[in-house]
Amino acid sequence: MLAIDKKRLNELLRNMSRDFRVYAPYLENGTGKFAPYREDRELYLEMNTLLPPKDIFFPQTEKMYRFRTAGSALEIEEIEDKKEKQVIFGIRSCDAFSIDCLDKVFLSRGYEDAFYKNKRENTLLVGLACTAAGDTCFCRSMGLNPQEAVGVDLQVLDLGEEWGFEARTAAGEGLLARYRDLLRETDAAPIPTQEFKLKVDVEGVPEKLSRMFDHPMWEEISRKCLGCALCTYLCPTCHCFDVSGKVKGEEGYRFRCWDSCMFSEYTRMAGGHNPRPTKKERVRNRFMHKLCYFVERYGQLLCTGCGRCLAKCPVNMDITAVIRKIKEAEVE
Amino acid sequence: MSIETNLNVEQQGTGPQAWEPKILVFACNWCTYAGADLAGLSRLQYPPNIRILRVPCSGRVNPQFVIRAFQKGLDGVLVAGCHPGDCHYSTGNYFTRRRYLLTKRLLEYMGIDPQRFQVRWISGSEGPKFQQVVTQLVEEIKAMGPNRKMRDQE
Amino acid sequence: MNEITQKMRETARGLLNSGQVALVLGWEKGYPWYKSAPAFIDRGEDVDRLVFDEFCHNNLSKYLLDLVAVEGRIALFVKGCDSRGINRLIQDNQVKREQLYIIGIPCPGLKDPDDAAGKKQGDEIKDAAKCQDCRYPNPVVYDLLLGEKVPVAKRSSETQALIERLEKMKPDERYEFWAEQFSRCLRCYACRNICPACNCRECVFDRATPEWLGKANNLIENQFMHLTRAIHVAGRCIECGECERACPVNIPLMALNRKLINDIEELFGEEPAGLDPEKKTPLGRFELDDPEKFM
Repeated sequence: MLAIDKKRLNELLRNMSRDFRVYAPYLENGTGKFAPYREDRELYLEMNTLLPPKDIFFPQTEKMYRFRTAGSALEIEEIEDKKEKQVIFGIRSCDAFSIDCLDKVFLSRGYEDAFYKNKRENTLLVGLACTAAGDTCFCRSMGLNPQEAVGVDLQVLDLGEEWGFEARTAAGEGLLARYRDLLRETDAAPIPTQEFKLKVDVEGVPEKLSRMFDHPMWEEISRKCLGCALCTYLCPTCHCFDVSGKVKGEEGYRFRCWDSCMFSEYTRMAGGHNPRPTKKERVRNRFMHKLCYFVERYGQLLCTGCGRCLAKCPVNMDITAVIRKIKEAEVE
Repeated sequence: MSIETNLNVEQQGTGPQAWEPKILVFACNWCTYAGADLAGLSRLQYPPNIRILRVPCSGRVNPQFVIRAFQKGLDGVLVAGCHPGDCHYSTGNYFTRRRYLLTKRLLEYMGIDPQRFQVRWISGSEGPKFQQVVTQLVEEIKAMGPNRKMRDQE
Repeated sequence: MNEITQKMRETARGLLNSGQVALVLGWEKGYPWYKSAPAFIDRGEDVDRLVFDEFCHNNLSKYLLDLVAVEGRIALFVKGCDSRGINRLIQDNQVKREQLYIIGIPCPGLKDPDDAAGKKQGDEIKDAAKCQDCRYPNPVVYDLLLGEKVPVAKRSSETQALIERLEKMKPDERYEFWAEQFSRCLRCYACRNICPACNCRECVFDRATPEWLGKANNLIENQFMHLTRAIHVAGRCIECGECERACPVNIPLMALNRKLINDIEELFGEEPAGLDPEKKTPLGRFELDDPEKFM
């Protein structure tokens, strides 16, 4: 396969950044995240980023349109979304699968989200194989292959001294052709992924959960939850959002922003009724969405096994422990 | 840089477009507001740069109002109430005193110029004091220029 | 197995089996090995889940707000900082002392799980940042104390060092520092939700009418959120450091809260929060001769 010396990766990205807006993993203040390529900054490729790349397609705050009143006239101005060609470099299998899930939410079943679509269809994905398995990684248990990211245009493999490239789509072939002069042929073998420390069996969980709505275990599991949004905001697949506006005098704009089903007022309706009044209902909803409802609707789990929620939850809410409890639970 | 360098204000000049500070005054209903009223009745001139927000007691003023005021475009904030011991609600301004000593420290710690936020005791009979305080405050803030920090330009 | 864990289990077993308490709040091992998590035990046979180790960070007193409807007494294990949380809640009339059976654990200081993440069990691990400034390692309120009281340890404080560095900066530099920190905030509210001083039934940030805090994530809203929260908990912060520990993007919240604590102690000579349940909070009371330098 084609490869590049690891020391020259920056050169490749620099060249790429002249033709595309390139996002790559960096550490900012100790927090790993996908940020626009910068020559003077060192890439962060040892482990996965803390913040998932979903905000590249689905920003935390996104202005949708502006409005202005002039007397009794109302002007609405769409916010022009620049159709910029982008490349996300270094997306792991878990996050690539999450983009696939988000594609299903925002682009399938007869509705296309224009804001998401505009960014998504102009972006190429370059997957990066994992050789290390973090303490909280369990993507394999969720049916993913850490060396093979779904839906990417180009897959990067760790060959030791070099990064190897394998095209997965025509666009990926195009990328390789474009920067061919930086690459050379190699027959080095990819380093396999470490043994996963964290494993869980999800066999039969979605079906079983569909019969567990009233199970008493939700009461027990939800007790320690704080009801913050940390898990949802770090989760690569979470996609709930709210729409709000900002008015300043005679003008303003409408925006959408991330919301979290873990917030107490997430399901509060006009009139005050809240169908998920306590933590129990909200925690139950979160796990049912990840492991049951999404499967029913789209045929795949909404949990990618990235382990971010587990790594950072202040009270150590553990989705793998919940899955184990589900497997052990007694249900009619 | 998060300090606004291109605010929609004209900095220099004395013409009609020149920048004028905008200052919010939280005036307690029983003392300061009456004092301001008296200043008006006595035809005491003071700069027109203030906007008065009448509150029942200076203790009603929540520090978040002050923070929002700066964010929404005010260059200075003044919280004024009755002298300690004279509060219409007996103890309101004692809380104001503690609260705003601390708020001033917090704003300073954030890098906001502490002179932009002032607290004064102005009683109902102190029309001249109201005039004096406002005039001085406007002068000081004019010299400092528009507030460029914590400005909501989104 | 360490002695405290042994005693924890015995005590909990006794309390539950005798019916003295309906629920025991403690800690249990989580995953990975450097995480311990809150445990809710309501049966004698489950007490072997309880542990006390160097990763028992969670301040269990916060959960008392959720448990007001529990019939019967609640037992909870508290370290020094956690016990101040209980006093805080009693001060705010959120919990009744009679309903609690407080089991104090003198705390030798906990370790930093982020530092442990790259290491093996048995390796040397850094002290948790939140423990570096600890002035009250021994519980200040308890019905039973497990173990001997520990002396206040002298540790170098990263937070104090940061505060001093900030105080020396020019205002513009300071502003840029905090602006950079707040612009990273995700607005997950982990800091607010984990804090025992934050116990409003409906938080100002959750209200849509009036909408004090907009839903957008930008510097202005984030600044508003953090400054407002800092001033709302001023004088009530028990210095447990959980806010900073919970923050996923490492915002140095204790450099903010501790600065206000320092200021309150300097300006009003007030004692730290949560030591005496009878006393009012510094901003909830006044002295006739309070300083008024600026009036």
